[in-house]
Amino acid sequence: MNETIRKHIEELFAEAPKTRRAVDLKEEIIQNTMEKYQDLRKEGYQEEDACKIVLNSIGDVKELFSELEDPNPLRLSEEDRKKKAMLKAIAASLYVLAVGVYASCMMASVIFSAGAPHLGMLGIVSAALICIPATGMIVYAACMYPDFHKNQDTLVEGYKERAYTRNREKAVRISVNAIIWLLTVTLYFVISFATFYWHVTWILFLVGGCAQAVAALVFSLRRDR
Amino acid sequence: MSITSDILRGHTEAIILSHLLDQDSYGYQINKDIMKKTDNRCELKEATLYSAFRRLEQAGYIRAYWGNEKVGARRRYYAITEEGRGAYQSYKRDWEEAKNDIDRLLK
Repeated sequence: MNETIRKHIEELFAEAPKTRRAVDLKEEIIQNTMEKYQDLRKEGYQEEDACKIVLNSIGDVKELFSELEDPNPLRLSEEDRKKKAMLKAIAASLYVLAVGVYASCMMASVIFSAGAPHLGMLGIVSAALICIPATGMIVYAACMYPDFHKNQDTLVEGYKERAYTRNREKAVRISVNAIIWLLTVTLYFVISFATFYWHVTWILFLVGGCAQAVAALVFSLRRDR
Repeated sequence: MSITSDILRGHTEAIILSHLLDQDSYGYQINKDIMKKTDNRCELKEATLYSAFRRLEQAGYIRAYWGNEKVGARRRYYAITEEGRGAYQSYKRDWEEAKNDIDRLLK
């Protein structure tokens, strides 16, 4: 008869989420139900009657299932999600502004052809300068993953933590590369227009490539540690 | 009888807290106490009882631990926390007020 009760409760939990908390709750209900069954038997109830009484008193456990889900560790809190969306929106509008500034300077330089090179430079430089805080915001938004801590020292939790760290690093790496190249292009135009040494300044792109390689090295060294 | 069990369900959490004030306990024991105190008229459904446990746990009013029974399945015990005692006291005050009001209204 004990087996009947256990099997009945196992069936009730067939659709429960597969979490530690669900298993705990199931064991708890089985234990309490068994104890009640034994008490009823001591009071003189027949096996079938006692079994029927305890199974009837369990009630609807399905309403409990939603509370047994594990909170998703990769989901941001409502507040952080809003902040992240806001940062991205501001960054996007700054990029649009940069394009606008560049276009109007170019137009101005065409209309007043006398000051052409300086206006053109002004346009490119100010557009690039506007892009820098915008990119910074995107980097910051990318770093806004919630911190993941292992709940238990199990294989699955360890794997989750590693996978999570990888995703975060990838986001940061992409953003750092974007900043490096944006800075390189800005510096290239600023220095070139200021000095007119166009035949030399292209070397800046090699420097940019080096900076990217260094950044990649730093990331891989940090991962190994 | 029907009034009691309706009202009882609305106070499940406070009833659990009051049972844990003096000593730690587990689901069936608490339900047995409820039956004894109401002369077998009232009993909580397991599902009601356990969802109340979960809510109390999440609020930090109780904490659960597994007992170390030598024979048979282990029991899951609950202990009340300091926050839980505070919550019980303020609930009790509210209830006394509500009870007086309703008594006056039903006179």
